[in-house]
Amino acid sequence: MIELRFHKDVYAGEAVDAAVKQFARFAALETSEAPRHWVVRVTGRSAARERTVAGELGNHALGATAHRRQAAP
Amino acid sequence: MAALSSIPAELAGADLAAGAVHLTVREEIYPLDAVFAAAFTFIKDAWVVVDRADDAHWKVVLTPKAAGADAAALETQVGAFANELLACAYRHRLAAANRATVEAVTNAALAGALGPPSFDELEQFDFSNDAFEDPLGIAQSWEDKYGKKAKPDDGAPAGASDGADDDGGAA
Repeated sequence: MIELRFHKDVYAGEAVDAAVKQFARFAALETSEAPRHWVVRVTGRSAARERTVAGELGNHALGATAHRRQAAP
Repeated sequence: MAALSSIPAELAGADLAAGAVHLTVREEIYPLDAVFAAAFTFIKDAWVVVDRADDAHWKVVLTPKAAGADAAALETQVGAFANELLACAYRHRLAAANRATVEAVTNAALAGALGPPSFDELEQFDFSNDAFEDPLGIAQSWEDKYGKKAKPDDGAPAGASDGADDDGGAA
């Protein structure tokens, strides 16, 4: 299991949700909320798959957040 | 966490076991939009996570997608990211400084693209050619302002000159 922590100052919650929805079919994703972070736990069929899904999910959340910032500065 | 030879340890470090490298940058110098822009250029080759190190610093973690990156490869990656981040921060600052100019040019271009005025707009347009106020005489021509003043006895007919300045008939 890999735990991703997205800081709320950096990532938009909607962007993290969109990334989770996008990658839910590739691994088991569990979301929760910490005081300063959005937390996503990734559980895959193998360690390599977990690593790939977690990395791509992070990139997707980053891109979605940047897109939202451009759309509504 | 291993230190990198070319970058101070307080700014960057590598986790060789995880195949990841991190860079810590000051928020005051590198705004979040610049960090995003730089990170965006790296998401093809690496997994990028941006975090807040403390109240004044961002922490960017890069994990190359190709497994087995050694210390040299990680150092190259974080060095390239630092350069890209610097360029993005500079472009961000230029864009902020030139925002008013860009908006003025864009507005002028959009106004021109609206096309010719309609008949209603032409009907309301003021076509009168009334002179504007010119108390300093800026709009006067040079001849009006500094030209020869006509003398009172300068009433001779045009063809009655003595021919001194007539260079056409001497030959």
